[in-house]
Amino acid sequence: MITRVARALRQTWTLAAHDVGQWRRAPWAVAAALIPPVALALLAYVLTFNLGHQPIALVQEAHGRYSDHIAGIFRAQRGDLYTLINADRASAMRLLDSEQVAAVVVIPKNFDAAVARCPALQPDQVIHDYTYARSGCPAAQLQVTLNNVNHNFAGEIRRALSETVAFFDAPDVITPVSETQLDMSDLNPYRVNVMTALTRPNTVDYIHYAVIPCLVLLILSVGVMGTALLCARDIERGTARHLALAPVSSVVLVAGRLLGGVLVSLVVIVPTLALAAWTGVIAPPVGHLPALGLVLLATAVCAAGLGAVLGATLRGARLVSMAAAVICTYLFFLGGGFTTIQFLPAWLHRMTAFVPTSYAIDGLRQSLFYPGLHGFGPDMRVLLGTAAVAVVVGGVVVRRAWSR
Amino acid sequence: MTPTLTALGGGFRAEFQQLRRSRLLVVLTIAEAVTFLMLVSIFGLTGSHVPTAVVDRDGGKLARQWAQVMSATYQTYGVRYMDASSAEKALNRGDVAAVLYIPDGFSQHMAHHSMIRIHFRVDNVNADLTNEVELGIPPAARAFAVANHFPGIRVVSAETDLVPHEVGFIPYLVVSALALAAFVVAGTLAASAVAREFETGTLAYLKLSPAHPLIPLAGRLLATGAVSAAAVSVSALLVVVGYGVEPVHPAATAVGLLLCVVIFSCIGAGIGTVVQRALPLSALIFGLALTFYLDSGSLEPARFYGNRLWVIGHTSPAYYAVGILQYGVHGLRVTPETIPVSFAALICWALLAAGAAWLGLRRAVVT
Repeated sequence: MITRVARALRQTWTLAAHDVGQWRRAPWAVAAALIPPVALALLAYVLTFNLGHQPIALVQEAHGRYSDHIAGIFRAQRGDLYTLINADRASAMRLLDSEQVAAVVVIPKNFDAAVARCPALQPDQVIHDYTYARSGCPAAQLQVTLNNVNHNFAGEIRRALSETVAFFDAPDVITPVSETQLDMSDLNPYRVNVMTALTRPNTVDYIHYAVIPCLVLLILSVGVMGTALLCARDIERGTARHLALAPVSSVVLVAGRLLGGVLVSLVVIVPTLALAAWTGVIAPPVGHLPALGLVLLATAVCAAGLGAVLGATLRGARLVSMAAAVICTYLFFLGGGFTTIQFLPAWLHRMTAFVPTSYAIDGLRQSLFYPGLHGFGPDMRVLLGTAAVAVVVGGVVVRRAWSR
Repeated sequence: MTPTLTALGGGFRAEFQQLRRSRLLVVLTIAEAVTFLMLVSIFGLTGSHVPTAVVDRDGGKLARQWAQVMSATYQTYGVRYMDASSAEKALNRGDVAAVLYIPDGFSQHMAHHSMIRIHFRVDNVNADLTNEVELGIPPAARAFAVANHFPGIRVVSAETDLVPHEVGFIPYLVVSALALAAFVVAGTLAASAVAREFETGTLAYLKLSPAHPLIPLAGRLLATGAVSAAAVSVSALLVVVGYGVEPVHPAATAVGLLLCVVIFSCIGAGIGTVVQRALPLSALIFGLALTFYLDSGSLEPARFYGNRLWVIGHTSPAYYAVGILQYGVHGLRVTPETIPVSFAALICWALLAAGAAWLGLRRAVVT
C-alpha cells in the first residue's frame, strides 16, 4: 500500500515538474501572465500619488489679521487637502483657463471688515436669542471659481474648501481625544464636538493597501493562465490522448497537472514575496507567516482548478490567454483588489461575498497589515472550500477533455 | 491598380472569414473592451457615499436633520439608520465604514445652541478610507450650522462654476474608457492578425505575391479595423443606452472614435510585428491600455495630475482622444488644447502610426 502511494506521489510530482519546466520554457506565456498584474500594480501605485490633491490658486487681496489667518490655514492644509499656488487674480484666472489649477479662491479686500462685523462667540456667551443669528450679520465671503468638470472631482474640491473654512470658525469640531479631556469648543459656532475613535490599532497607508492585493492577482493570473495553457496545449497537440492511454491512474495524472499549476504560481510568487520583504515593501509579523502561506497556497489551488476548467473547455492558446486575463481581472476587481470594498454600494458589496478572491485579499491584508487575524478563520474556510470545489471540478473537466 | 485592389480585397475577405470562424475571439475581445467600462464604473462607484451607520438616540427633528445634512454634503456619506447593536455588528462585518452616535438630547442642545459631544467610530481599515470619513464631518457640521443660522459663523464661500451642467463621475469615466476600449479591441485584433501571419509562416507566400506583399496585410488590417469599429460602436451604444449618456456632438464623437480605431489598429499591427506571437498579445495590450489610462485624463483633466504627467500624456494618442470624446459626449473641455488642435494631433498620430506600422511590416516582410 505504502509503495503504491509512494509511486503515485512520485508520478504526480514528475508530471508536475515536467509542466513547470514546459511553462518556464515558454517566455511569452510567462509574459502574458505577468503583464496584467504588473500594469495594475503600477496603475494603483501612480493613482495613489495623483488623486485627491487638486491644484488650487489662492488670491489674497486683503492682508489684515483675519485674511492672514485664513491664508495661513490654506497654507497649513496644502499637501493634505490640495496643492496651493499663490497668485494675483489675473494670473489665477489664466491658470484656471489653462487648467493649471482646478479652482481659484479669492480672499477679497473687504474680508477683514466683514469678519470683524460678525464677532466670534465668547466663552461665557449663552445664546438663547435667535435675533443674534438672524440679525443680518453678513458673513465674510471667500470667492471661489471652480472648474466643476465632473461631480466627484468638483465635490472633492468643495469639501476641501469647506474643511478649510470650517477650520477658521471651529478648528476643533473633530477632537480625536479621550473622553476625559473636555473639549475647548466654547468658541465653536457649530455647537458639536465630534470625538472619533478608531476600531483598529493601526492604519495601513493606502499605497500598501492598494498595491499588495496585486499579489493575489499575480497568483491568479499565473496559476489560471499557466494551468489553462498547459491543458490547452495538450489538447491542441493531441498529447491529451496519450496521457489518457498512459498506464497511470487518471487521478494521478489530473493531480499532477493541478500540482503543476500550483507550482507555477509558487515559482513566481515566492521570489516576489522574498524581494518585497527584502526591500521592506512588506513586513509581515513572524507569527503571521503560516497564515500568509495558507492564503497564497489556497489561492494558487483555486487558480489551478479554474485554469484547468478554462484550458479544457476552450480551444487555442490565444483564446485561453484572453479569457484568463478577463476572468482574472473581474475576480480581482470584484474581490476588492483595486478598491476598498466598504466604499461599494450595498448591492455590489453583497455581491463580493460570492467572489472567492475577496476572501483571499482580505486574508492577505489581515496577515500582512494587522496585528490580529480578525476574520481570518471564516475567510480561509470559504477560500479552502472554493479551492476544494475548483480542484474537483477542474479534475473532472480535464479528465473528460482528455478522453474526447 | 487592379492587382493591388484584388490583393487588398483578398486580404480583407480572408481576415473577415478568419474572424467569422473565430467568433469566440471576437466575443472575448469585445468582452475585454466592456471589461474596461465595467472596471471604471466600479472604480467610479467607490468615489463617494461611504456607508455610514447613524444611531439616532435622540429621535428629534434636528437629529434627523443632522443625518440628512450629513448624507447630502458632498456625497461623502451613504447614511443608514440603525440601532446601536446592529451598527456595531455592521461595523465589525465591514458593512459600514463608520458609526455616528447622535446622543440623547441632541435636538435640545442644538435648539439652545449649547455644546454637545458626538461619538464617531471609524473602521480605519486604511488611511484613505479613514481620511475620507473624517474629512466629511467638519463640512457636514458647518452645513448644518449654516442651514440653522447658528451665530458665530463668520466665513462662507460664494461659488461660481465654470461648467453649467455638472457631469456625474461614472458618465465621465465611461466616456474616457471608450477610447481605451477602442485600443483594446482594435489593437488586439490587428496585432493578432499580423502575429498569425508570422506564426503560421504565411508571410513567405505573401512575398511571392504579384502585388506588394504588404497589400494583402493592409486588407487584413482593414477587416480587423471594420470589426473593431463595429465593436466600439457596440460599446458606445452600451454607454448611451446603459448609462443614459447622450452625445452633445455626435459627429465629433463618431470621428474621434473612428480615428482611435485607425490609430490603435496601426499600433496593434506594430505590436504584432514586434512580438510575432499571438499568445501574449491580449495581456500586453490590456497592460498597455492601463498605462494609457494613467495619463490620458480619464478620471479628471490630465493637467491636474501635475505638469510632469501632463507632458508625458501628450505622447499618448489617448490623451487627445479623451479630450475629443469628453467634448463630443458631454460638451466638456478637459485639455488646454482646443478641439481642432486635438483632432489635428490625432490625425498626425494616425499618419505616424500608419507609417510606423508600414515600415515595421516592410522590414519584417520584405527584407
